[in-house]
Amino acid sequence: MKSKAKRKSALSHALVYIVLILLSAVFLAPIFIVFYNSFKSRLFITSEPFALPDSETFAGLENYTEGLSKTSFFSAFGTSLLITVLSVAAIVLLTSMTAWYITRVKNRFTKLLYYAFVFSMIVPFQMVMFTMVKTANTLRLDNPLGITLIYLGFGAGLSVFMFSGFVKSIPVEIEEAAMIDGCGPVRTFFLVVLPIMKPTAITVAILNTMWIWNDYLLPYLVIGTDYKTIPIAIQYLRGGYGSIDMGAMMAMLVLAIIPIVIFYLFCQKYIIKGVVAGAVKG
Amino acid sequence: MASITLKNIFKIYPDGFTAVNDVSLEIRDREFVVLVGPSGCGKSTTLRMIAGLEEISRGELYIGERLVNNVAPKDRDIAMVFQSYALYPDKTVYKNIAFGLERRKTPKKEIERRVSEAAKILDIEHLLQRKPRALSGGQRQRVALGRAIVRSPSVFLFDEPLSNLDAKLRTAMRAEISRLHKNLDATFIYVTHDQTEAMTMADRIVVLRDGVVQQIATPQELYEKPCNMFVAGFIGSPQMNFIEGKLKKKNGAFFVSVGQDLIPLPEKESLGGLSDGLDVKLGVRPENVITETARFEKESSPLCGRVDIRELMGSEVYLYVDYGKTKLTVRAPANIAPKSEETLSFQFEKEKLHLFDAQSEKAIM
Repeated sequence: MKSKAKRKSALSHALVYIVLILLSAVFLAPIFIVFYNSFKSRLFITSEPFALPDSETFAGLENYTEGLSKTSFFSAFGTSLLITVLSVAAIVLLTSMTAWYITRVKNRFTKLLYYAFVFSMIVPFQMVMFTMVKTANTLRLDNPLGITLIYLGFGAGLSVFMFSGFVKSIPVEIEEAAMIDGCGPVRTFFLVVLPIMKPTAITVAILNTMWIWNDYLLPYLVIGTDYKTIPIAIQYLRGGYGSIDMGAMMAMLVLAIIPIVIFYLFCQKYIIKGVVAGAVKG
Repeated sequence: MASITLKNIFKIYPDGFTAVNDVSLEIRDREFVVLVGPSGCGKSTTLRMIAGLEEISRGELYIGERLVNNVAPKDRDIAMVFQSYALYPDKTVYKNIAFGLERRKTPKKEIERRVSEAAKILDIEHLLQRKPRALSGGQRQRVALGRAIVRSPSVFLFDEPLSNLDAKLRTAMRAEISRLHKNLDATFIYVTHDQTEAMTMADRIVVLRDGVVQQIATPQELYEKPCNMFVAGFIGSPQMNFIEGKLKKKNGAFFVSVGQDLIPLPEKESLGGLSDGLDVKLGVRPENVITETARFEKESSPLCGRVDIRELMGSEVYLYVDYGKTKLTVRAPANIAPKSEETLSFQFEKEKLHLFDAQSEKAIM
């Protein structure tokens, strides 16, 4: 009886593993294909996209050197880094403060504010895209610093929602203890509340970093071609009349992915913690 | 050191609910005062107003000579221990205890000295590098105490600090807090809904009900001379019995008639002006019911009741006795107490009886 139940659970475990492995393969395959194609010469990428590089098709680092020279990759990397770091820092700092305030100070205004943030999550970007670009141009936000403000706006909805859910789970007595221990509101936030919110802050940072780093549409619409971020720079490898330097593009895609993968691997243990913390009490 | 004075303090919430109603109280320097009452009586709100965590709607609050209505909590020279401990979860025990001192720019050496001293007093030296989540409830409570004592404030506030502990630990911590009070030379204000905690620890007890102070007295006085039925019922375990009856005057002596029985009252001046036939409630503590026939007073006949339930507590038993319309709780020696369904003969200790006006519920004697 017991062994039958054991066998059944082992079987269901195996099934779950098979499904998970298949899913991982589906998700990882494109990245893997891009990776090994980046070492194949241009011609073979188009003719045999799924074939692994061999002695004939292997091009060494040629695609990389060409891509770097064609795209001015390092300057694009700098622009992407600047925009991402500033935007994420602004989002984490400001939305955590906002969430703390609207959760702890309860009145009609904060309630309204909370719903406004939640509502902003469900408005699709494409709906506000053109009016927003026009406003951004009028307000002279069409530069790397200005765009951080726009990212702050678009990132705020989800971030405030996640932080609010977490703040609700922090006993208010902890903040009161800090007040008695000698903290004003600013110190209470930075020395007590923010450290407790660390898992959620990291989750918010990861989610926003991945989105902002990979974003193509917003910088393309707002900044245009004056300052290129990595996705835009890579896009410029498409030549006229539909010709694309696939080799250089694959190589640059690999370089673009590396920082975000490293960042994710460092922080992944927090992401589950943070999402759950927000979800349970949200 | 600090005395605390509450002058006509009110707490009225925006929706009009009055949580604390005209509370006036003088707490002497180094006194251990316990605020006690049922849930929602305003005891925690009063404490939080003293701490500065709750705004005072009306009235004046003095710590020492200083009016502190508008003084921030950090500037009141107080420390508070919360029911939920309120430890900083991301900081080690050491950091938790040192946090208040760091905020006050105490030199690092001095912080180290004081933290290790506090840890020694509370026997938590081996826990200093742990995070709160790795501690048991009792250890967390000790850390919370450590955080309070390390600053040597002149007033300690405790908001039901032992409620989350199990019974055994609670007794141990109770003794610990009493010992701290002896050693620390500070004023202690302690909130609890547990009358045992109040009785065992306090120099004086403040009994609150619906935001109103019922009585302020020493534990002994509160037990022996409760000012009304609420206090009489709240203080003492098991609870005082209340028996409905009418006041009777016969040959210059006073009695309470309950059904066919006449229960004699002691001679007290306060009974003098009362009218015959007044509706009263007789208050009898379970331990003031005499069940040994040898101790019965000869001049009055014993009363009878049927034992409903018998609870053995070890050396003694609690008997729940049906006496007329009342269910009496009787505390009796285990060896002579009858079994359930049997009849119990008993008398009341005359000098220990309490009498209340049935209408106003105030104590007559």
